[in-house]
Amino acid sequence: MTEPFSTPLLLIGILGTAGAALPLLGIARRDRGSHLYAAIALGALAASLALVGYQVISGVAGPPAALPDGVLADDAFGAVLAAAMIIVALISTAGSIEYMRKRSAPAVYYSLILLATVGMVLVVYSADLVMLFVAWELMSIPTYVLVGFNKRNPGSNEAALKYFLFGALASAVIVYAISLAYGLTGSTNIGEVVAGFAALDISMVPLALLSVGLFIAGFGFKMGLVPFHQWLPDAYEGAPAPVAALLAAATKKAGFAAAIRVVVMGMISLSVDWTLALGVLAVMTMTVGNVAAIMQRSVSRMLAYSSIGHAGYILVGLAVAPHSQLGMQGAIYHIFNHAVMKGAAFVAVAGMVVALAATHMDKLAGLGRKMPVTSLGFVLSLFALAGIPPLSGFWSKLVLFEGAIDAGSSLWWAPWLAIAGVLNSALSLAYYGWITRRMYFEGEREKRIAEPRSIAAVMIAASVFLVAFGIYPEPLLGLASSAAPLIP
Amino acid sequence: MAAELVDFALVSVALLGIGIYGLAVKRNFIRMLFAVEIVINAANLNLVAFARFIPDSGGQTLALFSIAIAAAEVAVGLSLIIVAYRMYQNVDVADFRSLRG
Repeated sequence: MTEPFSTPLLLIGILGTAGAALPLLGIARRDRGSHLYAAIALGALAASLALVGYQVISGVAGPPAALPDGVLADDAFGAVLAAAMIIVALISTAGSIEYMRKRSAPAVYYSLILLATVGMVLVVYSADLVMLFVAWELMSIPTYVLVGFNKRNPGSNEAALKYFLFGALASAVIVYAISLAYGLTGSTNIGEVVAGFAALDISMVPLALLSVGLFIAGFGFKMGLVPFHQWLPDAYEGAPAPVAALLAAATKKAGFAAAIRVVVMGMISLSVDWTLALGVLAVMTMTVGNVAAIMQRSVSRMLAYSSIGHAGYILVGLAVAPHSQLGMQGAIYHIFNHAVMKGAAFVAVAGMVVALAATHMDKLAGLGRKMPVTSLGFVLSLFALAGIPPLSGFWSKLVLFEGAIDAGSSLWWAPWLAIAGVLNSALSLAYYGWITRRMYFEGEREKRIAEPRSIAAVMIAASVFLVAFGIYPEPLLGLASSAAPLIP
Repeated sequence: MAAELVDFALVSVALLGIGIYGLAVKRNFIRMLFAVEIVINAANLNLVAFARFIPDSGGQTLALFSIAIAAAEVAVGLSLIIVAYRMYQNVDVADFRSLRG
């Protein structure tokens, strides 16, 4: 039974109240002055981050059980990933302040971000399939609206329609998977479902495999795994840039959290050789993402493909999870890092949209002199995404690939995943380096222009995070290893 | 003769197939939305049938949740379609091609 004052419930209280109050306040004040709404949203998010941070640091959050009972599991796995989600929501809200200044309905906008955050936090904590599904929808429905928020812009509308169609199909597939799992085991608790799968009659195993496959497909839509990724670049390009940060860095990671809770555990209990399937998916995802990213001319589209590539790296961790404890740790560590890196990169794009009204590569020439702070943060996050030491992205990739090599003692092909990952990182360096060259070594005598202040603040905070945890990675590594559920 | 569990499962699988077919073939956005709804209802039928045969009330609870959430989802989808219709005077997905690359 969930305690009345457990972390997830308190988080619902804080974020949900602020999210519900904002539109009412907006009606009362006739939407004047968007800064107040942003301040309220930031306050609620900061309070929840402080709460989760306290839970993590003080060790109140219990160690993660592989198969928790109850509806919501108040454990370290949930707390660490919830912290990542809330950090992204903070980044995205702060990045929206200048972006939303001249646009309509700011109160609704911030309220939707908060409600989507409640959904993501609940996805991460949920230990029951009903809860997982409701939280999944609470996370998805606000983001459909957010993607189409610039409703006079055809691109934004088209992005929202595509995202909506694929998202709705993904939820439908997830309900179908839940219905099969429920029919086979008679329970919706994830732990009981997994135990039921393990005790299944041999004639029913194909149905259980179908259920797990549908789960992978449903979560894979959000994660951007390769056969299900077509909507993703369109949605990220058309969406308002701060919303793209939220999608790429947070909702995608919520998909991974759900996959860890359901798929990895379910697959282990079925004792079928499934790691090869996930490994092949991982290699396909990272290769398609990185190769397509090279060909893009729009910065947000390139970042979208690069986030597909990163989904592939994280999937390596899930694929080797049963054979090496490092796999799960690396996945959680990389989820956390990628949240900050990709969030910061998309907020930098938001800065370009505000200051230059463009995201095309050609407009980047001389940006290093025009907007020095934004450019520096952007370049640091790009290099962290590529995994260059001593930035924090390097360490999480190192742990992931170490896990793959570590699993090599029982899986002969696992080290190849690490090799594919390293080759892909090298490939990604090509387009990150190309952007950097444009920003710093092209363009003639550009004058410095006014940088959006809140965006510059986000970039500074993100740069400090990336450099500090790159030089001193132990705290994050410790968090990731304390959050990784032990595989039975 | 009372319907067996297998009958419900067959209808549900047929609905799933119709939904996937609709999504793959149709190019009208509203039809595609209907196709997704059919898939959701296939799952709901499964849930209720399994709940009846296990017997356990959990599945029916989830089916109710799922119906309510699907309604919320359709509301958002239709409002997006209305915005698109005002812009293009059409809801054919083949017309949406401003994002490419």
